[in-house]
Amino acid sequence: MTTVLPPPGPPGPYTSGRPPIDALPLEEAVDLVQIGANTMELNMGPQHPSTHGVLRLVLDIDGEIIKDVRPDIGFLHTGFEKSFESHTYQQCIPLTDRIDYLAPPMNNLAFALATEKLLGCEVPPRGQYIRVIMAELARIGSHLIWAGTAGIDIGAVTPFLYMWREREKILDINELVSGVRMMTSYIRVGGLMADVPDEFYGMVNDVVRTFPHFIDDYELLLTKNPIWRQRLIGVGRISADDAIAYGVTGPALRGSGVAYDLRKAQPYSSYDHFSFDVPIGGNGDVYDRYLVRMQEMRESVKIIQQAYEHLPRGPVNTLDRKVALPPRNEINTSMESLIHHFKLVTEGFRPPRGQVYSAIESPRGELGVYMVSDGGNRPYRCKWRAPSFSNLSALPHMGRNALISDAVAVVGSIDIVLGDVDR
Amino acid sequence: MTTTTAGASARPLAGARAAQLLAARLPEAVLRREEGLGEETVVVSREHLPAAIRLLRDDADGLYTLPIMVTAVDWPDREPDMPRFDVVYQLRSMMHNDVCRLVVQVAEDDAWMPTLEGVFAGMDWHERECWDLFGIDFRGHHDLRRILLPDDWEGHPLRKDYVSFGEPVAFTHNLQWALPMAERPADMPGTYHP
Repeated sequence: MTTVLPPPGPPGPYTSGRPPIDALPLEEAVDLVQIGANTMELNMGPQHPSTHGVLRLVLDIDGEIIKDVRPDIGFLHTGFEKSFESHTYQQCIPLTDRIDYLAPPMNNLAFALATEKLLGCEVPPRGQYIRVIMAELARIGSHLIWAGTAGIDIGAVTPFLYMWREREKILDINELVSGVRMMTSYIRVGGLMADVPDEFYGMVNDVVRTFPHFIDDYELLLTKNPIWRQRLIGVGRISADDAIAYGVTGPALRGSGVAYDLRKAQPYSSYDHFSFDVPIGGNGDVYDRYLVRMQEMRESVKIIQQAYEHLPRGPVNTLDRKVALPPRNEINTSMESLIHHFKLVTEGFRPPRGQVYSAIESPRGELGVYMVSDGGNRPYRCKWRAPSFSNLSALPHMGRNALISDAVAVVGSIDIVLGDVDR
Repeated sequence: MTTTTAGASARPLAGARAAQLLAARLPEAVLRREEGLGEETVVVSREHLPAAIRLLRDDADGLYTLPIMVTAVDWPDREPDMPRFDVVYQLRSMMHNDVCRLVVQVAEDDAWMPTLEGVFAGMDWHERECWDLFGIDFRGHHDLRRILLPDDWEGHPLRKDYVSFGEPVAFTHNLQWALPMAERPADMPGTYHP
């Protein structure tokens, strides 16, 4: 297979600076090789290390060339949507952690925002800013895992170890604020579990100060590495129109040149207070998706820095006592608070009848929650619009006519989390 | 520090653009328009759904080009003349920065929808999921198989009469839950007679 390599040089700040997709013919690799009539069916997974979980791929191959990919999913189906219907709204928060287990605060946030929209309740500015900090830390952590494991798939083992080291600092912050390293359940309906402790500021400052240099290190190892470029450039292309028709969102869509980011387009949780850029690619291949994610980590650091420097004072939870628990010391002195506390813990709150859709930009794309309330204390129906699910459905399109070894790179570049795909 | 409006309150009514477009250009498709919590829902008739979705996708005032999801909501306790399932379609217009919601109501004994995989390639998996979990038949779909559950699974778990785990505690008003499995009437949820 011959790929048209662009002239070497530094990529532009927010675009790969390479020609648009029309300039590079999609079918080129196939035209050079005469395809015979015989294809073989090859099973890949569900225990294959490069499937990042339990994804099974059925490949129709002709020699080394993939003629068709059929993903087989559902091995991790846990029935979260059914479980939501038998738990009160606050009890659902720990369930959401486990859906996209690489970015739990994002899931908490999506669920909390949808429920707050049903309730018509507003979180104070300090709570919103801390939510933003935790969500962006989760985005960095998720992208670090992605870059590390996708690198291993392709043969670059070294960056993984460095990335794990930096992710550790983010997990330490999770542990500090919530007591748990991964399944934090820190963002609750109506606000947060608690305000942040004093050590938080120093630790976040440490990440903000040092992390851009670490990204420079990763890029030094990968971005201009000739092996990395040869393995990724021109592989797994998808045009912007095709990506949209498949419902692809997030870095995979932005890699195809569509600058759509829900943080900009429909700002939630005070994202409109922060200035940041939306990095896009131009060619829609694996290399562009890699560049987009690397730049997104830099942008996330910028957001965290702004949120941290302008962190407002005040409460973190809504003052609506019908939604958020009253402070502990108030319970000792106020009968009213004691009753609220008792009612919230035993029964929860009852949003009015109605249906809402609320979406956030998760590390993988549009994470939407469609929630229907029948006026009871549990969600009547909660549909989890998982970004990995829609993004993975475009894999047959991206992987067709690639080489088998490229399939590994393409699957890695979509950044699926099987918990998110299968729910 | 100013107070922020993080929710939909600062934005125009979500989905109103699609509702107006449908009401103006394809009025026979619109059965009802519902508004609440900053979002507008259009209830459309099943036979006009493909035309409505194509209009929303292609018209310059709509450009709802991104399929977000297809799902259903099960309302088994509705009035007898109301259909049991709400099949929900959501589309996003990146050009006009809007999300719209179309709902088609189908009855239990008539639970089928025309497939839309010819309109959006991404509808393929979402329709399979809706079939898998709700048992809505998408007619014309090229490969309507279960997607999340094993192929030999029985039942559609997100229906309300599908008992997923646990059983109600038997009190005097629901003593049938105290019966052993073999003696339960077949129409009780979750009953199986091996």
